[in-house]
Amino acid sequence: MKIIVVTPEGELYNEEVTSVVVASESNGEYGILSGHLPIVSTIDTGYIKMTYDQLTYYVVIVNGLVQNQHDIITVIAQDAYIGESKESAFENLFKIRKARIDSNKQRNLELAMAENELKKQIKQTGAGKL
Amino acid sequence: MSSMREIKNRINATAKTSQITKAMNMVSASKLRKVDKQNRAFQPTRERIKQVLEDILSTYFEVSHPLLIPREIKRTGYILVTSDRGLAGPYNNNLLKTFKAHLAKNHVSNDEFIVGTIGFKGFSFCKRNQYPMINTESVNSRDEIEFIDFQVMSRAFIKDYLDHKVDKIVVFYNHYINTLTQTIATEELLPITSLVNKREKKVSEFLFEPSPQAVIDSLLPIYLENRLFGIILDAKTSEHAARMTAMKNATDNAEEVISKLNLYYNRARQNAITIELTDIIGGANAVN
Repeated sequence: MKIIVVTPEGELYNEEVTSVVVASESNGEYGILSGHLPIVSTIDTGYIKMTYDQLTYYVVIVNGLVQNQHDIITVIAQDAYIGESKESAFENLFKIRKARIDSNKQRNLELAMAENELKKQIKQTGAGKL
Repeated sequence: MSSMREIKNRINATAKTSQITKAMNMVSASKLRKVDKQNRAFQPTRERIKQVLEDILSTYFEVSHPLLIPREIKRTGYILVTSDRGLAGPYNNNLLKTFKAHLAKNHVSNDEFIVGTIGFKGFSFCKRNQYPMINTESVNSRDEIEFIDFQVMSRAFIKDYLDHKVDKIVVFYNHYINTLTQTIATEELLPITSLVNKREKKVSEFLFEPSPQAVIDSLLPIYLENRLFGIILDAKTSEHAARMTAMKNATDNAEEVISKLNLYYNRARQNAITIELTDIIGGANAVN
């Protein structure tokens, strides 16, 4: 059985697995083993637990679609982060998201300041009248 | 005629500006390639979600969603996709001008529409014109845009649509044709009419967990955001292309100005030499 996790940035994960657990905040969780019926479900915020022999990995998914067909599970997500435990994966997600929002706010501030500065400079130098 | 030093200063200044514009041109060129690649890579993802939706809608007749049903239009929502920074030629101006003309043609008062903007240029434009806006803060249009950047706005629009505060959502953006041509395009994001047209009775091969309706409910907003993301990528491609062309023109113009100034400079130099020579000869004649 194979799992492919796709985000807008490209393929995040493409590996062989023995079992998968799909957990979503609103829909609860279910497992997929090899030979499962073709299934489609969605994840609002949740995680996918992937097991291969003894190894277990967690992928946190934000707004995703899970599709299982012919033992190939495709996960299309808006955002996905991988971690060795559920907690670390979620922590990773929150940390990155928070940093992103903060940097966006900072950028807005910088842009507004830069625009004011430019207006002032244009007035002072009389550029455009040369 | 201005003095030699003045002309020399202007030549230096223009040369420095042309260096900057040349660098910007090259940066845009490489960014363009990157975004174009991302845009192409994103298409299959979008198609896949669309396929699942079509699959459900064509199989289960009882499934429906308010986002799929058109209704009488009382208030329209607009999304403007612009850039954060200028120096991209007519990229932002054309779009904002077209948008303003569209508003003047279709709406009588400001109560009939609400605007959401992506990119700082559009944000400050709407603020200047005092349009009603859905986002109080500018939504960044970064080079590597992520869903989280515009999700607050898109979710607010979807909520407004479900609450009957907005009856239609239209996106204004620059569509990328090639590096030299970009056109203003509009796309109707909501209601979604492109999915429902082919309804044929067939048996779906998929099991929908927990139910087809639940899958539709959570998948439709995702589909919408994916479409918007695709549009933003398209607009980003246009932005880099527009900037590339604008900066190429600026560099060419700077070269032209420099060659003209060089001519003036040489003329001024010759003039100065001639004056000096006549001075010397005049002086020598006076001594003799």
